[in-house]
Amino acid sequence: MAARSRALDSADRIYFTLAALIGSVLLVYFASVPLLGLNVAFHFYLMLWITMASAFNVASGFAGYMPFGYVAFYGIGAFTTAILVKKAAFPLFLALPLSGVAGIVLALLFAPTLRLSGIYFGIVSLALAGICRLVITNMPEQLTGGSFGLQLGSRAHPVQSFYVMMAVMVVALATILWLSRSRLGKALRATRDDADAAEMMGVNVPIVRLYGWLISAFFPAVCGGVEAWYTNVVDTETAFNTLTTAKTVIYAVAGGLGTVTGPILGAVAMVWLDELIWRQFPLLNLLILGLATIILVLFLPRGIVGTLLRKKPQWRRYIP
Amino acid sequence: MELLILNGLVNGLIVGGIYALVGVSLTLLYGVLRVVNFAHGEFVIAGSFLAFVLFSSFGVPPLLAVPIAAVVFFAAGWGLYYVLIPRLARSDDPELMSFLMFYGVSIAAAALLLLLFEADSRTIDYTFTPVSMQVGPIYVSTARLVALAITIVVSIALALFLFKTLPGKALRAAIMNPEAIQIMGVDIVRLSAFAFALAAALAGVTGVLIALVFPAFNPFSGAEYTIIAFIVVVLGGLGNPVGALLAGVLFGLAEQMATVFLPQAMAQIVGFVILVGTIFFRPSGILGVRFKR
Repeated sequence: MAARSRALDSADRIYFTLAALIGSVLLVYFASVPLLGLNVAFHFYLMLWITMASAFNVASGFAGYMPFGYVAFYGIGAFTTAILVKKAAFPLFLALPLSGVAGIVLALLFAPTLRLSGIYFGIVSLALAGICRLVITNMPEQLTGGSFGLQLGSRAHPVQSFYVMMAVMVVALATILWLSRSRLGKALRATRDDADAAEMMGVNVPIVRLYGWLISAFFPAVCGGVEAWYTNVVDTETAFNTLTTAKTVIYAVAGGLGTVTGPILGAVAMVWLDELIWRQFPLLNLLILGLATIILVLFLPRGIVGTLLRKKPQWRRYIP
Repeated sequence: MELLILNGLVNGLIVGGIYALVGVSLTLLYGVLRVVNFAHGEFVIAGSFLAFVLFSSFGVPPLLAVPIAAVVFFAAGWGLYYVLIPRLARSDDPELMSFLMFYGVSIAAAALLLLLFEADSRTIDYTFTPVSMQVGPIYVSTARLVALAITIVVSIALALFLFKTLPGKALRAAIMNPEAIQIMGVDIVRLSAFAFALAAALAGVTGVLIALVFPAFNPFSGAEYTIIAFIVVVLGGLGNPVGALLAGVLFGLAEQMATVFLPQAMAQIVGFVILVGTIFFRPSGILGVRFKR
C-alpha cells in the first residue's frame, strides 16, 4: 500500500512538473509576443482557440457531450460585453466577467438538455444555438444594433486585450488541469463511461454533469467578450457563426479529447496550418478546413495526444 | 383571410412534399448506416446547381434534369460511400464521429460550390406554359404543381420499393436489426453502399425540385436544408422513412401556416422549437413507434 502511494506520488510529481513546464513555456512565449513585436493578431486568436478548444474538451472529452451549438455561449458573451459597455456604460473590466456569468446563465437554461445523449444532444444543441441567434437578431435595434451590429467606440486597445486574453487562457488551462486530477473530474469521466455504474458508486450524476457543463460554458462566453473588445465590433452574423463551433470542435479533436495537452496541441497545430493556408490560398481556406476535418476523423480519430497515449498507455499517468 | 389560409395550405403541401423527400433520404441514411449526414443540405443544393448548369449551359429542361440528377447522384453516392464509411466504422464512437466527419464534408462541399458558382443567388429561368394554374379560388405556379406531382410520384415509388421489393425489404430489415439480416445472408456492405447511393440520388432529385419551387438558391442554402432535414427526421422518428414522409408534409404545413399567422422572425423560430420540443416530449417521433430495433 505504502509502495503504491509512493509510486502515485512520483507519477503526480512528473505530471505536475510537466504541466508546469508546458505552462511556463506557453506563458513566457505569449507574454513576450507584444514586447518582441511579433504578430499580435495571430497570437491573440491562437490563445482564443486554445481556450475555446480546452473548454469544449470539458463538455466533450470529460463529460461525453458533443455540443454542436457551442457558439451560442461565445455569441452571448460577445453581445453581453458589447451591450453592457455600449448601452449601459459599464467599465470593460466589469463587463467581461459578466459575460462569463451570461454564459453560465445560458448554460443553466440549457441544463435540461443534459439528460439527452449522443446524437440527440448534438442536434438539440445545434437548434438551441439557432434559436439564440434568431432571438438576438430580432431584438430591438436600439439594443443590439440590428444587422449593423454594435461598435464599441474608442475602447480598442490591442495589447491590453491581448494580455487579458492571456489571463483568460491561463485561468482556463489551470482550471482544466485541476479538473483532470480532481474528484469532480474523475466523477465526470466515470459518468461519461457508465452513468449507472457511477451512480451506484455514489456519484451525484446530474450535479456532476451540471458542474462540467457550467465550466465548459463560462470560458467561451468570456472569449466572446474579449474578442468583441479586441475587434471593437459585434454583429449576429459573426458572433453566432457556425464556423466558430466547427473550428473549436476540430481543434479539440485534432489534439485529442479528454487530455489537458490535447486541445492545446491541436489548436496550435491547426491554427498555424490555417494561417499558412490562408496566406497561400485564401480562396481554398474553407475547402481545406473541410477536407482536414474528414481526414482527421478517418485517420486520426483520437487526435495527436490520444493516439500517442493509445500506443503508450503507461504514459497516461504522466502526461497531463 | 380564407384565401390566405388556403394559399398557405396549398403551398404547405408543396413545400412539405419537398421537406418530406429531404427528410426521408436523411432518415434512410441514418437508419441503415447509423451515420448522421450533416452535409445533407449541401447534397440537396448540389442537385439544384446541377439543374442550373444543365439548363443554362446545355438547355436541358428541369423535368429532364430529374432523372439525370438521380443517376449522377446515385453514382457519386456509391463512390463516396466506399471513400468515407468503411474507415469511419473503425473509430471508438462511429455515430458521433460521423456527425463530425460530415460537418467537414458540409464545409468542403459548400466551399466547393462557392468556388465553382460564387456567392450569388441563382435561379433557373425556365417557365412552363401556362405560367400558373387555377386551383379552386387561388392561382399556383405550374412549376410548383409539377414539383408536387414529381414529389408524389417519387414518394409512391419509394414506398412501393421499400414494402414490395426484396431489396427494399432488406433495407427496412437492416434498419430494424442489422445483425439478424447478416445471418440471413445479406451482404451488409453492399446494402449500405446502396442505401447511401439511394439517399444521395433522392437528395439530388430534391435539389432539382427545389430549383423549381423556391425562387433562388446559393452555396450557403445547404445549411438551412440540413436543419429542415433534421427537424423532419426527428419529428418522424429517427430511422423511420414513413414517419419522415408524414413529418415532412406536416412541417411544411406548419411552416407555411406560421408565415401566415406569425411575423417573419417568429416563423423561423417555429422549426427549431418543434425540433427541441419533439426530442423532449416525444423522442420516438409523431408515430410514436420505434422503427429501429
